[in-house]
Amino acid sequence: MINTNSTLARVTSGRKNRSKRWKCVASLLCLLAVAAFSITLTLGQSFTPPQDVIKVLLGENVPGASFVVGQLRLPRAIISLLVGMSFGMAGVAFQVMLRNPLASPDIIGVSSGATAAAVFAIIVLHMDGASVAFFSIAVGLLVALAVYGLSYRNGASGARLILVGIGVSAMIESFIVYLLSQAQAWDRQEAMRWLSGSVNSAQIHQALPLIISLLVFGGFLLSRTRDLEALRMGDDTAHALGVRVGMTRITVIVSAVGLIAVGVAITGPIAFVAFLSGPIAVRLVKNNGSLLIPSALVGACLVMGGDYIGQFLLPSRYPVGVITGALGAPYLIYLIIRVNRKGGSL
Amino acid sequence: MTLKHQLVVDHLAAGYGEKTILNDINIDIKAGQITSIIGANACGKSTLLRTMSRLLSPSNGQVLLDGKSIHNTPTRQLAQTLGLLPQSPIAPEGITVSDLVSRGRHPHHGFLSRWRKEDDEAIAKALETTKTTELLDREIDELSGGQRQRVWIAMALAQETDILLLDEPTTFLDVAHQIEVLDLLVDLNQNRGTTIVLVLHDLNLAARYSDQLIAIQQGQVFANGAPNEVVTEDMIHAVFGLQSQVITDPISGSPMVVPIGRHKRIKHT
Repeated sequence: MINTNSTLARVTSGRKNRSKRWKCVASLLCLLAVAAFSITLTLGQSFTPPQDVIKVLLGENVPGASFVVGQLRLPRAIISLLVGMSFGMAGVAFQVMLRNPLASPDIIGVSSGATAAAVFAIIVLHMDGASVAFFSIAVGLLVALAVYGLSYRNGASGARLILVGIGVSAMIESFIVYLLSQAQAWDRQEAMRWLSGSVNSAQIHQALPLIISLLVFGGFLLSRTRDLEALRMGDDTAHALGVRVGMTRITVIVSAVGLIAVGVAITGPIAFVAFLSGPIAVRLVKNNGSLLIPSALVGACLVMGGDYIGQFLLPSRYPVGVITGALGAPYLIYLIIRVNRKGGSL
Repeated sequence: MTLKHQLVVDHLAAGYGEKTILNDINIDIKAGQITSIIGANACGKSTLLRTMSRLLSPSNGQVLLDGKSIHNTPTRQLAQTLGLLPQSPIAPEGITVSDLVSRGRHPHHGFLSRWRKEDDEAIAKALETTKTTELLDREIDELSGGQRQRVWIAMALAQETDILLLDEPTTFLDVAHQIEVLDLLVDLNQNRGTTIVLVLHDLNLAARYSDQLIAIQQGQVFANGAPNEVVTEDMIHAVFGLQSQVITDPISGSPMVVPIGRHKRIKHT
């Protein structure tokens, strides 16, 4: 059995290489996120020297910098980071579970459901803060389950679910437009700004619900990492490998919707972050390990980077959703063409 | 292999939605043997295999593994004894052979358990057995149909189950690769003592490679036993609606079906 030994060595080294590659990609993305975070803190309309930024972060009072960094940039950077992670992780969870990049929450109606709920809560019910978040989680879940239920026939097929989701999403969008047409001028302006997805009015206390949601829902998703990976080989194979497919689906749907809805309630639906993060992460990670964490980091980079571009690098200021939307749209077109040609897989 | 697991199908009925496909099926799968399920298209043979591997819940009756209903056994625990290769498994884009095969270890791992040396050993063994070692670093997408099927079997082997169910493992393969896959299954059966149950389309290969044949007709067991008991001209007529002559396979000595069609007969005077 000399052969078996060399095969064993190759298997072991292959596995170690895969995990090394995963760690490498994850660390690089971490670094990138840290870099984006630092740039947001130091470089805006004016440059704040890093030592002043650190002083402010440590709670010292630095004339000038304390307000700009502490009140404006820090909340913005933190909320961008957390929302980006939430969207990135939720998006890839859906895409992996349904084995289709088009199955992202912002395509199949989950995000628009949560958005409509939040708009309704703001304009009609005059709610704010946590109650908006809870309301949009509830409605987001309802929409997700409705889409799932409507596309269920002898098991849920990914393609059917996506088509049903696109339809439901279109219905909800028109409901949002109707709501806006009924709103007072001031409310409408407020709602419009929020609808385009922005971190302009980020406040530090908004970080808490996002952190909780990432810990709880993100934690649930991470506990399903292996099952999600097995689902990439088809429901039957996953089942044969001992995955409780139905149970995993429910856990993933509830957790991902939770992440999306909490994020949406705070910053509005930042277009295509959930949709783009997974496919970008897949191209970096390849098949070297779980996509949840890399995709969360990609999402964070997208939101922080997009916000920075929207604020400072263009002739006039745009909310981050406009920038990510402009990035996402061409990719959506590319995907639809490609899916048509060879069938989708993440 | 000292411990043999017993798989028994007991008064099983199953179907999709309202539609009943299987009716009162009773089968005893012989441990350590190769059993093939045969039958015409849409007779329910795949449904039977899917129910036997708990992909489908029975509407009546049960499937028992060592006396315990598989539909009430925790699925991960079951996956350590009962393996299944579905008809069309999906390979994630760009995945390498060794990565894919390693995923067969899934049922042996909990949420936080670490990778062990025996996992790598099981994978290496599965690769050796299926002669896919040279393909180890290749991507699945670049392999031929026969190679790909061997890799999928390797994944199922890495799962190290005593029973392996395969749903039409030879369907999209040319004849040489069909023989290659079936020979591999016999190797497994002889060397590891694995109990093998498969759905096969090709009657003659089923008769040659199986110890037990189960002929399904309209959701019921029509015949069940050794190939030379089951494969008769009457059975072929009843199950497939085909006239035929059964002769002896000159290579294996198993029964061999020669179909009789309307054309191309030697004229007898």
